[in-house]
Amino acid sequence: MTENKAAPAGGSILVVGGGISGLTTALEAAEVGYEVFLVEKNPYLGGRVAQLNQYFPKLCPPTCGLEINFRRIKDNPRIKILTLGEVEKVDGTSGNYDVTIKLNPRFVNEDCTACNECVDVCPVERNSEFNFNMDKTKAIYRPFEMSFPMRYVIDSSVCKGSECNKCVEACKYNAIDLNTEAKTINLNVGAIVWATGWEPYDAAKIDNLGFGKYQNIVTNMMMERLAAPNGPTKGKILRPSDDKAPESIAFVQCAGSRDENHLPYCSYICCMASLKQTTYIRAQYPDAKIYVFYIDVRASGQRYEKFYKQIKEDKNVFLIKGKVAEVSEDSGSGNITVVAENAVTGEKIRQEVEMVVLATGMQPTTKDVKLPADLKYNEDGFIINDFEKGGMFAAGCANKPADVVSSNQNATGMALKAIQTLVRK
Amino acid sequence: MADKYLVEPDVEFIKEVVGLGGDTLKKCFQCATCSVVCPIAPENKPFPRKEMIAASWGLKDRLVGSMDIWLCHNCGDCTTMCPRGAKPGDVLGAVRSYAISEYAVPKFIGKAVNDPKKLPVLLGLPVVVFLVLGFITGLLDFTPGGDEIVHSNFFSSWLVDMIFVPLAAWIAVVFGIGLKRFVNDMHENAVLEGKTDKKKLDIGGLARALFSILPTILKHSKFTECGENKDRATAHIMVLYSFIGLFIVTNIFFVVLYVFQIHGPYSQMNPVKWLANVSGIALVIGSALMIKSRMSKTDQVSSYKDWYLLWLVFGLGASGMLTEMTRLADIASLSYSLYFIHLILVFNLFMFLPFSKLAHFVYRTVAMAYGEYGNR
Repeated sequence: MTENKAAPAGGSILVVGGGISGLTTALEAAEVGYEVFLVEKNPYLGGRVAQLNQYFPKLCPPTCGLEINFRRIKDNPRIKILTLGEVEKVDGTSGNYDVTIKLNPRFVNEDCTACNECVDVCPVERNSEFNFNMDKTKAIYRPFEMSFPMRYVIDSSVCKGSECNKCVEACKYNAIDLNTEAKTINLNVGAIVWATGWEPYDAAKIDNLGFGKYQNIVTNMMMERLAAPNGPTKGKILRPSDDKAPESIAFVQCAGSRDENHLPYCSYICCMASLKQTTYIRAQYPDAKIYVFYIDVRASGQRYEKFYKQIKEDKNVFLIKGKVAEVSEDSGSGNITVVAENAVTGEKIRQEVEMVVLATGMQPTTKDVKLPADLKYNEDGFIINDFEKGGMFAAGCANKPADVVSSNQNATGMALKAIQTLVRK
Repeated sequence: MADKYLVEPDVEFIKEVVGLGGDTLKKCFQCATCSVVCPIAPENKPFPRKEMIAASWGLKDRLVGSMDIWLCHNCGDCTTMCPRGAKPGDVLGAVRSYAISEYAVPKFIGKAVNDPKKLPVLLGLPVVVFLVLGFITGLLDFTPGGDEIVHSNFFSSWLVDMIFVPLAAWIAVVFGIGLKRFVNDMHENAVLEGKTDKKKLDIGGLARALFSILPTILKHSKFTECGENKDRATAHIMVLYSFIGLFIVTNIFFVVLYVFQIHGPYSQMNPVKWLANVSGIALVIGSALMIKSRMSKTDQVSSYKDWYLLWLVFGLGASGMLTEMTRLADIASLSYSLYFIHLILVFNLFMFLPFSKLAHFVYRTVAMAYGEYGNR
């Protein structure tokens, strides 16, 4: 233990990923006095949480919590936010890392007031990834209503550039520069926390569940956007084929998770997410019938179990033990029939519903493309924390599938680990 | 399952099923994907999810007497789609193998058939029987002369029939005893689990159902409903038809020999001989295809019980065809040796038929008949 792991001159911390875990780590470290760089590859902070309609089990909107975090960032001069940034290279060892970061152009500077005049004149449309391609935005757009930083951004893959120039002409604040180039910066930091998060498992890979083949089969994350007031349907849950208010909905649990052919592990959040989503439907359509097909409901801990019990009491929610393994579509009505065996009664069930939600799981963003740093991964692509070696740590869903509350606890812990790296003599 | 049920696990049963190729069964977490993706499971109480839990809990009585383990054709769709790699198709295959040993008496023979260490005994037994009986009766002549190769000059037809006619009776008796228990167990199990609408078992009705499902079996229409292992149906149907063909040939020549007193070898121009040759070739090709398929399917469990039967059937066909070919080529010593080997294999097939995997043709046929009868 004689090794000197102290960072030079106070040292700073790099947090990679501006989702709820990264925000937490950055704030916890900065609020005790450390300099933090927060790099986010999207043009906004908030990550997956920003896409959610409500948290479970309190059923409050995540924007509320995000707003508090954004306020704390604004108030804290020790946090430097680098959106549209990607880590390209990490050299060095614990206490002394040289990091190369590429900053992609936003084309919109800090003079932007979010007046929206550029959007009105922009002639090009793009699919909204934020809404899982269920609607479109212009090539210049605001990521979402309470984006932080509150600045528009241009999707350079579709923008026609200076030959169009309409947004530049419309902007009264000279906030748009279509000739901005990507730049590279170098940082010296003492510790790095990787909060690179997760992405929804690609439901189209689950052959027998019909996603991508039948319109009225959506994923749980799509349901979040459908239910969200700032979503593609302004918060009205409508099925994709004909914008009908669904009178019956089936939830297919473990869609890809706990399956050696897809994600061998339990994604942890999907049971609670589906139970939560039954309340979205219940609130909008009190008479709709909701069928939840599960292997077993994993609502662990006192609060989640209580929530599960409440849902079970709902007369219009039918919880059926048995995994859906076959779906078909009625081409006329667009209705979907899900097939499962009720493992309690031993009867095969063919339930026709108007809409199906696949409770797809989470896959680490590091599943296929590894980070440019000396990190270890488990076979599923999650980063393994090597506390022996120290210096770099994974927080939140980069480390394991987790809900928001565990991610925050974990992220706080990793802030402490990063601080220890800086102060350890 | 809602009723109270005291689980009495039979740990030995679990171990045996694991040993027979069901080693993945404990991986099952009862998600019921298998019962849904199975192309041939019925709507009411589909298999194989319930079989998986019964096997895992050691509920032997729920399985060995269940028709459902036989309605399964090991398509393999369940195994492919299983999220845990629990391979229900192979587990049910192992349970079937166990059930065969359970119904075929005396049980020690079944144990020997499933034990690779006993293979020399299984193959040695006919050699001893042939030599001893041949020596006593003088019907085995190791120096058959003559210009033409006549196998009965070496191994007299009298000796063949002295051995194989009683063996045929043996097959009938062992199957008879087994089936009596099996049919009763199957009915009891079906009533208990609500898989039949018949309260009392009517053997006449079951026999009529047997006739009505024969086309299904002969056309392999259930087998071809399979997804994953569909390609296996062709090889299987070849082997089935070749056995039927050879059964017919054997019976005709039996009559020809004893009624018309005409001794073989028979002319290649004889239509019965054509049937024999076609059947023999189909047997060789069909069993070779099955061996090839098992060798290439690494995700499917292939245990000793499978290999014993496949190589036996292949050896049977190959030695039979080669005996004939060497006879036509006039290589006497080789032809007589091959004939002796051929008879050893035929003896194995007959003697151990009710104990080996091949017994499935009886149990599955009866189970399918019961399914038809009980409106499964």
